[in-house]
Amino acid sequence: MDLHAIAFWSFSALAVISAFGVVFAKNIVYNILSLIAALIAVSGLFFNLGAELLGALQILIYAVAIVVFYVLVISTVPEYKGQSVDPKYMLISIPTGFAIFLELSYVSIYGAWASSTGIFTPEVMQDVGNIKAVSSMLFTKYLFPFEVASLILLVAMIGAILLGRKEQVMEENQ
Amino acid sequence: MSIPYEYYVALSGLLMVLGLVGVTVRKNIIAVLLSTELMLNAVNIAFVAFDMKLHDVAGQVFVFFILTIAAAEAAIGLGLVMAIYRLRKDVDVEKLTELKL
Repeated sequence: MDLHAIAFWSFSALAVISAFGVVFAKNIVYNILSLIAALIAVSGLFFNLGAELLGALQILIYAVAIVVFYVLVISTVPEYKGQSVDPKYMLISIPTGFAIFLELSYVSIYGAWASSTGIFTPEVMQDVGNIKAVSSMLFTKYLFPFEVASLILLVAMIGAILLGRKEQVMEENQ
Repeated sequence: MSIPYEYYVALSGLLMVLGLVGVTVRKNIIAVLLSTELMLNAVNIAFVAFDMKLHDVAGQVFVFFILTIAAAEAAIGLGLVMAIYRLRKDVDVEKLTELKL
């Protein structure tokens, strides 16, 4: 059992346990903490697969920036008093989810592997490096989607400002 | 590499299903948004695993875009949660039924 296998099993066990925490823990603060643990475990899986750029971006963007949004909103909205999990939907969703899981595994194991392979073989990757390969692809073939992504972020920023501000502020000034 | 890529895809499916169950069963609207983040992460693992198996980097570029979309979605979704809370003083999905006939 080499280091890759040990890393895979420990990170995946951590990710699954934390995902159970995200879904089933009662307190919303515990949900956020479990989400951080799951995100860091997924980042470790990215490093284990050899995608260093995405592992670093996962920690930077997800585990820091997005989680800070959630923590700010949780600190503004008071503690949720109601029932956390609806047992009526639990009875339906868990067997349905298990069926979807079996279908996803079947399709991915027997179907999707037969696709054509790209040019970035392990020898090329050894030569170029993951970060250079991903970013050269990002700034040549996917340059237009990259610019559209910046536009989406601008729209999201304006939308968040419009949705989050108070309506009464203008009236009080008049 | 010793671990087969199928294991990564199975882990991705498990996380996806857990996120789906979370979206279905949770009643707090912030917890529903957290479960969607879990589903996005499951998709990211599947993208990277397929990429490494098929010797390509296009999937990693798409994971980059998914990170962007997740940040935009968190900003807009939490802005909506704040607006809903200011209007209704409640974040329970069972009680937000204005559009119900």
